Amino acid sequence: MTPLERFAAYGKGQPIDRLPCVPIVGNTAARVLGVKVSAFRGNGRLIADAQIAAYRRFGYDVIRVFTDLYTQAEAMGAKVHYPDDETAYLAGPAIDSVARIARLKPADPWRDGNLPAHLDAMARVHQAVGQEVPVNGALTGPFTTASFLIGTENLARLMLKEPAAVHQLCELACLSALAYARAILSAGCTPSLTDAMCSTTVISPRQFREFGFPYLKRIIDFLHSQGRAATLHICGKTRPIWEAMADTGADCLSLDNAANLAEAKSKVGHRVRLMGNVPPSEIMLQGTPAQVREAVRACVRQAHDNPKGLIVASGCSLPVETPWKNIDAMLAAVREIGWPVDPPSLNQALN
Amino acid sequence: MSNQPETLYRALSDAVVGMDEEKTRQLSEQAVQTGVDAYTAIEQGLVDGMNRAGQLFETEEYFIPELLLCSDAMYAGLDVLRPHLKRDHSVARPKVVIGVVEGDTHDIGKNLVKIMLEASGFETIDLGRDIPPKRFVEEAVKHEAQVIALSTLMTTTMDGMAEVIQLLRQAQLRERFKVIVGGGPISQAFADRIGADGYSSGAPGAVKLVKQLVGVAA
Repeated sequence: MTPLERFAAYGKGQPIDRLPCVPIVGNTAARVLGVKVSAFRGNGRLIADAQIAAYRRFGYDVIRVFTDLYTQAEAMGAKVHYPDDETAYLAGPAIDSVARIARLKPADPWRDGNLPAHLDAMARVHQAVGQEVPVNGALTGPFTTASFLIGTENLARLMLKEPAAVHQLCELACLSALAYARAILSAGCTPSLTDAMCSTTVISPRQFREFGFPYLKRIIDFLHSQGRAATLHICGKTRPIWEAMADTGADCLSLDNAANLAEAKSKVGHRVRLMGNVPPSEIMLQGTPAQVREAVRACVRQAHDNPKGLIVASGCSLPVETPWKNIDAMLAAVREIGWPVDPPSLNQALN
Repeated sequence: MSNQPETLYRALSDAVVGMDEEKTRQLSEQAVQTGVDAYTAIEQGLVDGMNRAGQLFETEEYFIPELLLCSDAMYAGLDVLRPHLKRDHSVARPKVVIGVVEGDTHDIGKNLVKIMLEASGFETIDLGRDIPPKRFVEEAVKHEAQVIALSTLMTTTMDGMAEVIQLLRQAQLRERFKVIVGGGPISQAFADRIGADGYSSGAPGAVKLVKQLVGVAA
């Protein structure tokens, strides 16, 4: 089955060959193509070639065009540092005070920063393999982009001291995100949302409801109006906001390894598909193929009977240097389990 | 308000927990004017308030934004009270060199650990973020620190943590410092593998860990 056929059959409750499986490959794709991570900067063709090569090499079920979380913030003025051969990181926010919010404008996805290159990459990937595999474009959530615009600690303090300023920033980030989402759709891809800073590792459930939720919901409402399903990823701890995450209208929640899928299933599994959550660092980067297999089986044990379905995935984007044998082991473990899932056999050790 | 010092200490503590920077500053000035012992006002007022905030953080009633505002209040009070400490209270506190490893600029986790360490009586030398391994060693030697605390959120920088320990070994300084590691991608298994002395998944745990390692009563 192609990934698209697999998802279509799975969604209808028809027989499939195995559960969908998504090791979330971002800059690891540079290794498959044998280029430096920094070569992706501004080079849509290279990002596309790498993503297509990685998909063909590993045979997973979703391609996600993604290099880092900062592309939208960068397009609005945040400063991003590009190491020679590692994932980019935020060097500095776009502004340092509330007084400067008025200087910010929503990004034009066809013109600003690296957004045009990413859209070019998405269009190329869609053109090449969009007939067989879902191609997603990474979209950073408004609250997270807002934190990159004014600095995370600044934003954290403003939530309590000047909530109106935080809403102004989120509104600007939301307008950027909506414009980018439209552009991603026109490139033939589906936006997939990540709102890292909404984690309860950082903010309270009440703060999520106030500053994260409304903007996510607007974007997801828009995706639904365009006939697209929405996937929402939030890193770190999320248990206290699973219901709120489902209330955004998201069709699929992608959960970090800090979450327990069995618990998520019992709380929100009748409303949303679950995606997760093999530990990206401890298992995928540092573990052995045998440990990957065990972690996959743990995920499947916990949530194979999730009413809205399960996608076996890494808990977050994979580290660049994730060994290929571990990515292969993830797919192999899912193939070994097969379909329908036979719960007793999940406890058997490898011969 | 009663003039009992205890009432003032409690008010200071409440102002810190209540995230009220202005009130904490005013109460600290009041403490100076009424001549109460600055050290006790810090310990039973400001630090007590920050520790209560830390407990609320542990039980997930407070989150990072609240903890940051509590620490702003604590530091505002410290600015007022510290100049009035009597000499015998400025005895050496155990020193911790802390920073985010080179290649990463996420520093909220590091900042929380620093705040809670300071509230627990440690002196911290905060190197900031994006710090080369060599500097951790140099600064720890220079400041005669007891602990080196390494933080990261990026897997790409984890090797930098191992390198700090390597550098210490090469310089035959490994026994002189306790090295602790923390951050999103870090685990106890990783800490063990690189030969760190300890790992904590959060700021309150990091303080307990440091206390254990340097032998200070919790």
